[in-house]
Amino acid sequence: MALIAVSGHPGCRFDEVARFSAQKLGFELLTQARIRTLTREEFGESAKIPDRAYSALVTSILARLGTEHHIVYCAVGGEVQARHFPGMLRVHVVAPENIRIGNIMLDHRVDRAAARQLLLEMEAADRADRKAKFGKTKATADLFDLVLNSEALTTEQMAELIQTAVESSGLKERGFVSQAAEAQLQFQMRFKLSRYGIVPPGNITLRKKMFANTSEEIFANLLDFYRIAWEYEPRSFPIQYHPDGTVLESFTPDFYLPEFDLYVELTTMKQSLVTRKNRKVRLLRELYPHLNIQVFYQKDFENLVFKYGLAERPVHS
Amino acid sequence: MNALEIPGLDRVLFTGEQIDARIRELAAEISRHYQGRTLKLVGVLKGSIFFLTTLARYLDVPIKIDFLAISSFSNRSGSPGVVRIAKDLDESIEGEDVLLVEDIVDTGFTLRYLLQTLAGRAPNSLSVCTFLDRNSRRIVQVPVDYRCFEIPDRFVVGFGLDHNQLYRNLDCVAVMKPEK
Repeated sequence: MALIAVSGHPGCRFDEVARFSAQKLGFELLTQARIRTLTREEFGESAKIPDRAYSALVTSILARLGTEHHIVYCAVGGEVQARHFPGMLRVHVVAPENIRIGNIMLDHRVDRAAARQLLLEMEAADRADRKAKFGKTKATADLFDLVLNSEALTTEQMAELIQTAVESSGLKERGFVSQAAEAQLQFQMRFKLSRYGIVPPGNITLRKKMFANTSEEIFANLLDFYRIAWEYEPRSFPIQYHPDGTVLESFTPDFYLPEFDLYVELTTMKQSLVTRKNRKVRLLRELYPHLNIQVFYQKDFENLVFKYGLAERPVHS
Repeated sequence: MNALEIPGLDRVLFTGEQIDARIRELAAEISRHYQGRTLKLVGVLKGSIFFLTTLARYLDVPIKIDFLAISSFSNRSGSPGVVRIAKDLDESIEGEDVLLVEDIVDTGFTLRYLLQTLAGRAPNSLSVCTFLDRNSRRIVQVPVDYRCFEIPDRFVVGFGLDHNQLYRNLDCVAVMKPEK
């Protein structure tokens, strides 16, 4: 998915630049107002979104829209939001103060003194909003791929420059967000939202992931990095029954990767315990021959994390 | 560089001569398949460069070369983000017969991402050629059309493969000693 995040100084009409760009590119335009509408639709009319949950909320919306559209996203902090998506172009529109005051005079039909006062208020509100939602008051130039000065450039020209940047960087050629990547992002974001008590109607609550050990957490991070959807210990398989039919022993693989219909078991333990685990895996394979399961032994895993620079050297098993 | 004189290395898995002979065989096979066509070799930086350049010299069909690199996963600084293209191709691959050249395929994570990315750019064909295939660690089933060697689950270096950016220039593939 191509994500063009357009933000700018108050009074420099960056929202107009975003709208023109979306029209030229044929991308979906996502504005602050549309986010409010979508939030009401998704989480109910009465949902109150705390500032700290805002980022997760917007990422969730972007992930959903990104499965079908390329997006121009126009709101404060768009450059921060864009980091979750690979095909991004972060655009910032700036202008000297006198230009911005002139714009405010025209847009709000006020005189210069009132426009100057209004600009100061807008800047203060912008800083407070950014601080509350993203923890920073300023957006510095290094956070953007393209900084446009509207002193000499018209809105039309700036939209053309954005279009050129999108085409030359091949962003349009990217596919939309895959179902699996969306599912993974939704899981992460909804997990964050659930901490603030925000759940979609129907009260879907997300179980907090408590990994049994660091290896599992690293593995989950690795899957996240490659945008591979996963579930943690989603299912237990009975592997031994009492003659009366009650389950004596079950086996719960660590991960399930729905995209590949594959269970993964990490066995990063001492050899005496591995023998027991191997027995369980063997029983599992016998009883459930259709099941795909990949076992990662200690050495496999250490070499894997070693490859990714997470350990200094592979360790003897 | 003589691999056996390097303290951190355990043994040589494939000698320079074995590698050269195998790449010649593979190049002949690839040349037969792409007879009459121009092949675009896309190398994944940095590990594949030694293999790609050797392979390219033995191919009998016209070739073009391009490279890409992807961001690497590191858990050390908190959230690792998501994989992305760190260095993109210089030219479009639309309508081209593309052979993606990898140094090693193990879990299949990287290759899956690359194939998804490149397939969306409308190449005429897209195949995969890897120097080493560590099938035992495969999680994601990815199509590997050409492979030089299958290897056991050992940490190997040389002929482009590194440990902390070292050992790439070994003319052989060697197994690293596990730390005591």
